[in-house]
Amino acid sequence: MSITELLSQFGHEYFLGYLTTLQLTFFSFLGAFIIGTVMTVFRVSPIKPLRTFGNFYVQVFRNIPGAALLILLVYAIPYLSIVFSYYTCVLIATTLIPSAFLSEHLITGINTIDKGQIEAARSLGLTFSQIISKIVIPQAVRSTVLHMTNLLVATMLTTAIASQVPLNPLDLTGLVAHINTHATGGIMAFAISAILYCLTAVLIGQIGNKIDKKVRVLR
Amino acid sequence: MKNQQITILDVLYEEPGPKTRRKIFTFTILSSILVTLFVLLIIFRFYVTGQLSARYWRFFAKWTTWAFLLKGLLGTVRVALMAALITFSMGFLFMFGRVRGYKVVKFISSVLIEFTRGVPTLLFIYFFFFGMPLFGIKMSAFWKITIPVAVSASGAVAEVLRGGVNAVHKGQREAALSLGLTENRTFFKIVFPQAFKYVIPSLISELVIVLKDTTFAYVVSFNDLMQNSSVLISNYDALLSVYLVAAVIYILINYFLNKLSVALALKR
Repeated sequence: MSITELLSQFGHEYFLGYLTTLQLTFFSFLGAFIIGTVMTVFRVSPIKPLRTFGNFYVQVFRNIPGAALLILLVYAIPYLSIVFSYYTCVLIATTLIPSAFLSEHLITGINTIDKGQIEAARSLGLTFSQIISKIVIPQAVRSTVLHMTNLLVATMLTTAIASQVPLNPLDLTGLVAHINTHATGGIMAFAISAILYCLTAVLIGQIGNKIDKKVRVLR
Repeated sequence: MKNQQITILDVLYEEPGPKTRRKIFTFTILSSILVTLFVLLIIFRFYVTGQLSARYWRFFAKWTTWAFLLKGLLGTVRVALMAALITFSMGFLFMFGRVRGYKVVKFISSVLIEFTRGVPTLLFIYFFFFGMPLFGIKMSAFWKITIPVAVSASGAVAEVLRGGVNAVHKGQREAALSLGLTENRTFFKIVFPQAFKYVIPSLISELVIVLKDTTFAYVVSFNDLMQNSSVLISNYDALLSVYLVAAVIYILINYFLNKLSVALALKR
């Protein structure tokens, strides 16, 4: 199929597919940010059970393959009489996995802070919550901008597992599989999706680089 | 990194006084109760839905079950190792093109790196599944999963290798050149061996990604751990337990690979 044929026949579907992918990426990353931050707080807290729970959570979800997690959510969890819609299953999988990586990045960011900074802050008389909110968190976030944009791209790539379940509308990858099972879309069908993914990834990377240059802590 | 982690956590909190110690104690008790309740709730869910019944777990005592899973795991490992080999070769070529190539080669390498990094593995898998037959190219299930997994990791590997090459002190290159080595000899004998040592931990992390991506082998009906698990499921009519065990196997393998990566990074 030529590109004009493809676009006239499936143009609208591609648009919807791109929107679905972006939507999944956005909500997943937002959820991952919240859960990942909470888990990081657990992991650096002085309370042992919370630390253990946070570490366990991160190890499980950074090491489980996306496909395995999605299969568990779609086919296995219903045996526990817990049933989610396909969309929710995908969203849960694409949120939990990046959240674990996000927590790892935040911990790395906290580790880049020199311990002299905290000692200095304390000797200036800052309280614990002041040290956390004024010294630790801002520097940790600023030094992990590049990790975060890479993670955002990785989250977008992870949402391709949505193609493994019947969604409506389909995501970008699912759409290509759909086109090729019902018609011969040819190379062009793949190229359109691939270019959309790739341009988005490059765009996110560029924005990330700009932000990083602006906020990076020079040492 | 581990040493650093201990120091930062140590200085983050002051030595707790009696009041804080009491607070920590209360929260420790409270949170252990909550975590225990959470775990119990999950076990209870298994119990009320009958998933704890012996018929779902008994066959794990049989040797044949594990032998079958192991056979699947062997398939997974074969794909992962072959894909790792291919992705390393491709990554090296891309990196070499980007670092040492002529302008055009540099540009093409950069585009290929960005492209393979920006496209999901599944799209590559579907491309090799649907697209290759259009050219009259027939591949076995093994290659249909191995090649796309390798291609999709190659750009990231190239960037890891490039990071290593950039991390080698430029005095090394200058010294080699002033000793009369050619640019190519300098790169292969002096710069790259050092760069490779730097990036071994990151390469292991890439291996974890490759291993995770092999889970999609069921798309092309290759007998990997996941595929063999589904055969067990239809044999014993036990879905939850089998998939859960398969997931734990994946998690454990990746966990130990990551541990190895951290240990190697610390050793340096």
